[in-house]
Amino acid sequence: MNPEPFLQLDRVIHEKGRLAILSMLAASPELSFTELRDALTMTDGNLTTHIRTLQQAGYLSVTKSFRNNRPLTTCSLTPPGRKAFANYINLLEQIIRQTKPE
Amino acid sequence: MESNWAAEHLQVIRTLMERSALYRRALAPIMIFNGVVGLAAAALGWTLEVGSPRVFVLFWAGVSVVAIAGSFLLVRRQALKESEPFWSPPTRRVTQALLPALVAGLMISVVVLVRAGLVAGQPDNLAGVLWLPLIWVVLYGCAFHAAGFFMPRGMRMFGWGFIIGGCGLFAVGVPAWASPLDYAHGIMGGFFGGLHLAYGVYLYFTEHRRNAT
Repeated sequence: MNPEPFLQLDRVIHEKGRLAILSMLAASPELSFTELRDALTMTDGNLTTHIRTLQQAGYLSVTKSFRNNRPLTTCSLTPPGRKAFANYINLLEQIIRQTKPE
Repeated sequence: MESNWAAEHLQVIRTLMERSALYRRALAPIMIFNGVVGLAAAALGWTLEVGSPRVFVLFWAGVSVVAIAGSFLLVRRQALKESEPFWSPPTRRVTQALLPALVAGLMISVVVLVRAGLVAGQPDNLAGVLWLPLIWVVLYGCAFHAAGFFMPRGMRMFGWGFIIGGCGLFAVGVPAWASPLDYAHGIMGGFFGGLHLAYGVYLYFTEHRRNAT
């Protein structure tokens, strides 16, 4: 079996929490911090750490604004983030194809 | 081994992507509000003896405006409380799914409003338009069934309740003992009041339990 696809898996995305964040954002143009936190049942600190990692990798853009005098933090995938996520899924599919019995 | 792991990963991704597209606002207050409005309106319509087709359509159109406006305010309040945008992508998807069947109901109502009493031999009371509440019920069920694809699973069952109930009553016909007035307002109160209220109470307890776990 060719181990190449497994080795190519993006380590930033491969972590469970970050993969969950990217999966949610891949299906929505943008999501607020509270929506992500509630849907993924993460703590504020945990989510902040993952978001920061994804932001540093250039996969996520974070917008801070005010709505009705309350701070609103929204996250969305950047084009490189969307590409990296699609690439990650392709690699998973490759792994399944390789190991599937003929 | 790796194949299983990768397949499980893809399944998790798929589940999360589906969850992201779901409408997640608390529905219990909206359902309970609509149930109370429906029951109160049915009682009022029956007490005031709203029996002319035109007045019946106008009366229930007014009730639907109150129900929609109230639901809108409840959703907006939830969005403000959570510091989230009101017109979010899931809200947009749910609205788009609801619209076709609701617009069809509106158009049929406008036709009844314009044509009621004009057909020769048709009495100017609810006896001639007893199909109308059932049409509203079935179309409302279709609307919620369509929206149910972007909402928690119970919503599609709720839609089916309206569709099957409405079609079933079509098949059974009007019971001999019921007057057109009782029947028409009874249908509206039973479905738009009773069903909403029952589903709202069910959601109230299940949403609380889900939030607690």
